[in-house]
Amino acid sequence: MGNESNHLSDKVIVTNILNGNIQDFAVVVKNTEKLIAQIVRKMTANEDDQKDLVQEIYLKAYQNLSSFQYKSKLSTWIATIAYNTSVNYLKKKRIKLYDMDFLSENKYGEYETIEDKIYKKENAQFINNELNKLPHLFKTLISLYHLEELPIKEISEITNLPEGTIKSYLSRARKTLKDSINHHFKNEYYEK
Amino acid sequence: MSIMKSNHLTDEILQAFLLKELQDDTLDPHIAECSSCRAKLENYQYLVASLQKVEPEAFSFDVTTVVMHKIELYERQENTKKALVFWGILVVLIGSVVLISFPFLLPILSVFSSMTLFTNIFIVGTGLSVLIFLLSDIYKQYKIKEKILFEDNLQPIV
Repeated sequence: MGNESNHLSDKVIVTNILNGNIQDFAVVVKNTEKLIAQIVRKMTANEDDQKDLVQEIYLKAYQNLSSFQYKSKLSTWIATIAYNTSVNYLKKKRIKLYDMDFLSENKYGEYETIEDKIYKKENAQFINNELNKLPHLFKTLISLYHLEELPIKEISEITNLPEGTIKSYLSRARKTLKDSINHHFKNEYYEK
Repeated sequence: MSIMKSNHLTDEILQAFLLKELQDDTLDPHIAECSSCRAKLENYQYLVASLQKVEPEAFSFDVTTVVMHKIELYERQENTKKALVFWGILVVLIGSVVLISFPFLLPILSVFSSMTLFTNIFIVGTGLSVLIFLLSDIYKQYKIKEKILFEDNLQPIV
């Protein structure tokens, strides 16, 4: 039911835009900008580049709107454009989307013997910083899954990666985050 | 995927268990008994809870303004391009007609010059009336076809 109403509202908006009501595209931008921010901001921290990317993404969506076939949600379709455009941007800048070394080794090793009470200390800022240290692809996947709460299937549509690969990357990213938090709090504990 | 690694659950399994992606009745008893796996699971619980508390990042600029400015600019450029193509084709067509009809212009003009002013006005007036009638009919037909085409498919839905 929810999907159908999404589909219908997507159809209404797209039809209106294709009929020449350009201003309706602002509704599309407003509805999707939060999701697009999770992709673009994870790929580049430079504000000028973010602006250029956002303009490029939405212009591509606008130019190709007539080819949108309602096979997915409009937001997923635009997120796919955002992901592909951002990946191309990284390629142009010769920045790796993810490091293969990151997949094969663990930066921090195992630190499972820390006191639970210390570990459970509140530190959202620290987690945010650690999240931003992850490779671009991993932080994008973590943001889409945990912050935007998108299902794996939808993330798979956006990134064009198999669901199994996404699960594996998410698992690796979470393990790295967990180990870096352990590492951080362990150091803090010993310093005291 | 191997569930156990040196008698402990792997990170992948613990995460899948935490996120309810995996249903296995043997996991609960193991986690209840194994302090190492329980500690790991609690770490992951804390991590997932913390991730949910992270504020989603937003752009520091007004996305709608930036995007709509770009779209309007694009539309203006497209309209200019379309207008240039239209007028270009029109100029080429008129130029071609003039060039092709050039050898016949003098004989045609000589026909008109041999007739009285009233006859000339009558011929030109009739020609113009027919032309206006044909153009208005083409426009009317276009409007009817447009209505048929857009009524069922692309009519704006309010």
